[in-house]
Amino acid sequence: MEKKSFIRRYPVFCVFAVLAVLIVLAAIFAPQLTRGVNPVKGSLKEAIKAPSAEHPFGTDKMGRDIFTRVLYGARTSLSSTFILVAVIFVVGSLLGVLAGYFGGWVDAVIMRLADMMIAFPGLVLAIAVAGILGASTKNAIIAIAVVSWPKYARLARSLVMKIRHTDFVAAAVVTGSRTPYMLWKYMFPNTITTLVITAATDIGGMMMELAALSFLGFGAQPPTPEWGSMLNEGRNFMQSAPWLMVYPGLAIFVTVVVFNMLGDGLRDILDPRSNEGR
Amino acid sequence: MKKRIISLLLAAMLAMATLAVPAFAADEKVLTFGCQMYSDGLINPAAQTNTGWNCMRFGVGEALFKFNDNMEIEPWLAESYESNEDSTVWSIKIRDGIKFSNGADMTATKVKESLDWVREQGPNGSANPQKFLAFEAEVVADDAANTITITLPQADYNLPGNLAYPTMEIVNVADTTDFDAGTIGTGPYMVQSHADLVGFTMVKNPNYWNGEVPYDKVEIIFMGDASAKANALMAGQVDLVENITNVADLQRLQEDPNYTVDIASGVRCGFSWMNMKGILGNDTLRKAILMGIDYDTICESNTIGGLYTAGFSVLPSTLAYGYDQLTNPYAYDPDAAMAMLDEAGIVDSDGDGIRELDGQPVVLRYSSYENRLLNDFSDAHTMYLAEIGIGVQSQYGSSDDCWNDLVSFNYDLDNNNWTTVGNGDPTEYMANWYGKSGSNYCGYQNDEYDALYEEFLQTADTAKRAELLKDMQQILVNDAVVIVDGYYNSSMTFSKKVGYAHIHTADYYWITTEIVPAE
Repeated sequence: MEKKSFIRRYPVFCVFAVLAVLIVLAAIFAPQLTRGVNPVKGSLKEAIKAPSAEHPFGTDKMGRDIFTRVLYGARTSLSSTFILVAVIFVVGSLLGVLAGYFGGWVDAVIMRLADMMIAFPGLVLAIAVAGILGASTKNAIIAIAVVSWPKYARLARSLVMKIRHTDFVAAAVVTGSRTPYMLWKYMFPNTITTLVITAATDIGGMMMELAALSFLGFGAQPPTPEWGSMLNEGRNFMQSAPWLMVYPGLAIFVTVVVFNMLGDGLRDILDPRSNEGR
Repeated sequence: MKKRIISLLLAAMLAMATLAVPAFAADEKVLTFGCQMYSDGLINPAAQTNTGWNCMRFGVGEALFKFNDNMEIEPWLAESYESNEDSTVWSIKIRDGIKFSNGADMTATKVKESLDWVREQGPNGSANPQKFLAFEAEVVADDAANTITITLPQADYNLPGNLAYPTMEIVNVADTTDFDAGTIGTGPYMVQSHADLVGFTMVKNPNYWNGEVPYDKVEIIFMGDASAKANALMAGQVDLVENITNVADLQRLQEDPNYTVDIASGVRCGFSWMNMKGILGNDTLRKAILMGIDYDTICESNTIGGLYTAGFSVLPSTLAYGYDQLTNPYAYDPDAAMAMLDEAGIVDSDGDGIRELDGQPVVLRYSSYENRLLNDFSDAHTMYLAEIGIGVQSQYGSSDDCWNDLVSFNYDLDNNNWTTVGNGDPTEYMANWYGKSGSNYCGYQNDEYDALYEEFLQTADTAKRAELLKDMQQILVNDAVVIVDGYYNSSMTFSKKVGYAHIHTADYYWITTEIVPAE
């Protein structure tokens, strides 16, 4: 009864949660779904073949099965996106809470760092960072993390500052609560909801940014199946063999839409203001 | 009344001026050329090999000699030449009446200054001018006779060929203030403006010595991507492009009557260097690598589409250097490659699919860049090597990244496409594997090869030189020194706005007076 009521109240969240789970399952069970076809193994004799019964999404320049590479690409894209969002969530939140709680020079140092990071266009700075570090998935994650954490830090800081000087916090301090306890018990819980919503809605955007870096050659390197780099590989054949770009492009489109809608759905559930009037 | 007449006159002049500007612009003959950017597109002949090439390719620099399409040497800024019997003293007569684009006379002294300057600058860059004219060579100018006399420390039977190399182009050293983007040469065009990493605007050289310059202005736009070149051409944004390497686009343009594709049979070789100072110092590993790759299938695939002809030697099969008499002990045979590796103890002991050598997994760092299908070859090699248990870590970047990796030995495999007879014969190219050469970027050392190369340098007889080259090639094949991608065919494609354009066998002459607007 309770379950039905939840589905009815949050249909968007439920539909997209199911779709997101399906995407994650497709990534996990890629070897089974592709019947053991190796995503990096191909045959040049089969290069650039149109979709057929044998290769439902066609083959790429190296004669590799694009269906297999799209499914395995989900592994690379999803795992790197989740790691990226987790990193910026943890680092940004931690620094923001510290800045908001301690204020003074701690706040000044952290926030000026954040200001420096947001003074440049995000992707341009990420390209510069990735260019310096070298092209790889790990470095692409680092590059985007470096330019994305300030958003969480600024959010966490403002949320902490809202309660920092309230009576219950003062009372907790007066009663001898230690700083780690204060942070853990009072500060983090007051920021977590908003930050989780932000993280959930960020997944799609971060996935796009990682794909963009890979498309530009700063992310995953060949022969790793990754949607952004697959788009890049197919770019030269956009007119003569469009399937090289269409399927990885669709994969990015569908996944980003699903996770964006899932994030919106989660916000509807967790954000008390959006629940008002329901 | 007077005021009214003056006002009317001024208004009429203004109107005429307004009308005159577009009329002039419409009459102006402009060529828009899309090309790959090498070494940031700069045109300093002494800085890097590519910058010297850029200077000549963009129609700024010319040399004393040039190559025709049979790679025979012809006088260019020179009129004639002669040498003593042992080819150590050369006298070169300069053409009369040649001026630099700034109007200065190109005297024998100016030629000497240019040849001295490029060698003085040599140690500061990577153009290696000493490969074409030794540091110790003495150049003496005689302005009255308009000749230069070059005395060499040792015989050079191919000095005219060496002086035809772009690094040795003749520039006005005294008057050039910005060599990177404003070198003053004798070519048909000169730099009007330069946009960093974007391109050049060239204008007609008013002092050009060799006939009418067909265009008033040439816009050179850097575009590395083959599809971008093709699409820009088809959208009318450029009139002429070099080397569309995307097979699908090239075929589309060949079939379209609105475009002309000119293709030159290749004297370029695509090949991956193998760094002998690293893990590929292991002979067995290199031999197994060569046996693990199916070269014919790669070159015949839809991906490469016939833009390369497969081969196993560093010199193209079309050149008369005995390719047909060579034997290849490492033809594609993956089973034999794996057996060879197993026998040498290079096995996969931890079951991760990658073999180990001395306890370390064999994962090769592969540097490559996106030009002339090199990344596609590197991807194909990676795929084949995985089949025999050899891992590859791809490091794809710009041509400069790839070059920097090469000269700093920061690679295991480094894929390039080089011209093989750059100075008319493969002397410079074959020095890449000569033990005492500054351009031996792979650390290869074979005394027999070195002895043959030294004999080659001292040999004037053409038949004997070809025989020596054949033997040198066979040594390189036997020692499994490089992975040969294949032999590349260059191309130039143009729209109906261009009446004629031509890609030369020697890849140094892009913007020339041969390129003319359509009638």
